[in-house]
Amino acid sequence: MKALEVTQATKRFGGLVAVNNVSLSVNQGEIFSVIGPNGAGKTTFFNLLTGIYPPDEGKILLFGKDVTGLPPDRIAKEGVGRTFQNIRLFGAMTVLENLLVGMHIHIRVPYFHALFRTPLARREERRAEEEAKRLLEYVGLSQRKDELAKNLPYGEQRKLEIARALALRPRLLLLDEPAAGMNPRETEELQAFIQRLREELGITIVLIEHDMRLVMRISDRIAVLEYGSKIAEGSPEEVRTNPRVIEAYLGKGAAGGAA
Amino acid sequence: MSTLSLLLSLAYLGLVFLAPGALSNLFGLLALGATAFLRLSPTWRTLNLALLTLAFTLGLVRSGNTLGLIGLVGILVALTTLPRIPGGIRVLLGLAILLLSVPMAGFANTFIFELGIQIGIYAAMALGLNVVVGMAGLLDLGYAAFFAVGAYTWAIFGSEQAKNFMQGNFPLPGEYMYLFMGIAIVTTALTGLLIGLPALRLRGDYLAIVTLGLGEVVRILANNLDHPINFTNGPQGITPVQRPPIEWFRELMGSLGVRLDQTTDYQLFFYLLVLLMIGLVVLANVNLANSRFGRAWVAIREDEVAARSMGIPLLPTKLLAFMTGAAFSGVMGVIFAAQRTFVSPESFTLLASITILGMVILGGMGSIPGAILGAAALTILNLDVLKTFSEFVRTSLPQIPSQVDPAKYERLVFGLILVLMMIFRPQGLIPEKRHKAEMEEA
Ligand SMILES: Nc1ncnc2c1ncn2[C@@H]1O[C@H](COP(=O)(O)OP(=O)(O)OP(=O)(O)O)[C@@H](O)[C@H]1O
Ligand SMILES: [Mg+2]
Repeated sequence: MKALEVTQATKRFGGLVAVNNVSLSVNQGEIFSVIGPNGAGKTTFFNLLTGIYPPDEGKILLFGKDVTGLPPDRIAKEGVGRTFQNIRLFGAMTVLENLLVGMHIHIRVPYFHALFRTPLARREERRAEEEAKRLLEYVGLSQRKDELAKNLPYGEQRKLEIARALALRPRLLLLDEPAAGMNPRETEELQAFIQRLREELGITIVLIEHDMRLVMRISDRIAVLEYGSKIAEGSPEEVRTNPRVIEAYLGKGAAGGAA
Repeated sequence: MSTLSLLLSLAYLGLVFLAPGALSNLFGLLALGATAFLRLSPTWRTLNLALLTLAFTLGLVRSGNTLGLIGLVGILVALTTLPRIPGGIRVLLGLAILLLSVPMAGFANTFIFELGIQIGIYAAMALGLNVVVGMAGLLDLGYAAFFAVGAYTWAIFGSEQAKNFMQGNFPLPGEYMYLFMGIAIVTTALTGLLIGLPALRLRGDYLAIVTLGLGEVVRILANNLDHPINFTNGPQGITPVQRPPIEWFRELMGSLGVRLDQTTDYQLFFYLLVLLMIGLVVLANVNLANSRFGRAWVAIREDEVAARSMGIPLLPTKLLAFMTGAAFSGVMGVIFAAQRTFVSPESFTLLASITILGMVILGGMGSIPGAILGAAALTILNLDVLKTFSEFVRTSLPQIPSQVDPAKYERLVFGLILVLMMIFRPQGLIPEKRHKAEMEEA
């Protein structure tokens, strides 16, 4: 069973075809990258996967289950966590509260238990808080527990967003440009961190990334989008030497040069 | 500083003995201001607050002047917001004010009870609306509709009105009011579902307009459902509505040494009932705020897309907030109907909805003490300050034409207050930490 299987997905915005007939599949446990020039449709592709937009055409299977057209909250419940290109934390909540929101679907407290704060509600809240704290430790944000998310420095906000996605206990994690704005050292840390997620938690990871060094080192396979269409797919080596990819990145006539 | 403020408080205590009334109470408010805003050590501050509580209570008992009530409200606010006052003192003084000072003042001047009950009913509703607007960020301009549904739920069956369309022994005996508080929770929550299902699919301004319209629909239904079958008795309203029998309460009070007469017994009873309800509503508010539901509401308010990507379903979560707020309002509607023994559509106009919203905004969105303070401030303003002021104008300045009667400018004054708020303190009088953070961001 594939972690993700997309067949001929298309999304149009008016006349613009943001995602054009894209098919691809991701194996379980894989680290898979989606790359492409600005405006190629990468983020829109993620938005199709997470249900923010239903695809106009095509089909999306998650771990063998057809989720085409389901709303984002249902897809999240299927075990898909994500981060956003332009960080979307709950800024006025604390770091810990952000994680607790991420754990929403795993905190099993019925409404009336919450209303009266019954022993069950207390127990579940305490358990959730413990788990959130463990997660903060895992990503190295323990010191920041009670700070407002918006007051964190940029790099830690990125980390927190990943942690919030992890709080969902995802099987599939979608990261939209996680290394954006990071210096080479931070990027290296990030690479190690993502690899740890796969090794230790067994999560399948799809990432969008512009940093080619990171992409080439970390990915098992890569898909390349241009103008909404998939123009190449394969191992880092195959993609690096693919003439169409070189052309897409460096312009016509550059094929055959260095990538 | 410490001696100055202590002198002020003592001077006020003296004034209360010599010349109780509006002027001495104004002086008392000044002394309270000094206590709250001067830099004092916690001990001095606590001492001052205790002195002032005593003085305001005496002032109320001796003169019945309602400025004293404002003073007591002010002390309650100080007790909830000022830092470094011992917790035990806070609770003790607060309870003394609510359970001793106000009832004693009420015996001296029953209007104090009336004010206290109205403040309480509106405070509980403001707390309900606080869930909807403050936590979930859903701008509801038709909130009074739920109050109406709650009030009519009891009014129809707690009076002869129900005979018009069904068989049975109506009015139901007064004890049924307690049962109907539960029933009203269900009917108003269902009304919330009915209004929310179409309305909550919309966002922002659209939601505001649609709730405004649907709120008016409820009022107009109440106004017109006197034919073909008479459900609501139309614009005349329904009266008399049964009140619960309170023999047990009279006996209980008697055994505590409190002798009640015919006018004050129900007043005291409803005052205490309303206090109890506020206690429960505050508890529910706090519990929800610290649960996955409260967090989901705030998350949706902050960023719908991110919230949904965390597995929070949009419509059900919003509906839950809407129905919770509606139920709070519905229970208070039942008490409102019973306390006044009269219900008519006039109590549930758009202005009522906007007033409750104003209370939430004035106090500070999302803030629990804020909602209560907002309710106290606007209720006292509407029922007392403006009326007193117009009386003053009418008697001392008869040359001023009656068109400029201040009581007629309720909405103007109200609007002015909100505008000033938006300019000088947009986060509200007692801001909640999250909204404060959001404001700073903007
Ligand atoms: N909601 C929308 N409405 C209209 N057009 C949109 C919308 N979202 C994206 N687009 C357009 O779709 C195209 C693809 O955008 P998308 O954000 O998916 O690109 P991207 O590959 O993520 O680019 P970048 O590398 O800059 O993030 C762009 O031309 C963009 O303007
Ligand atoms: Mg993008």
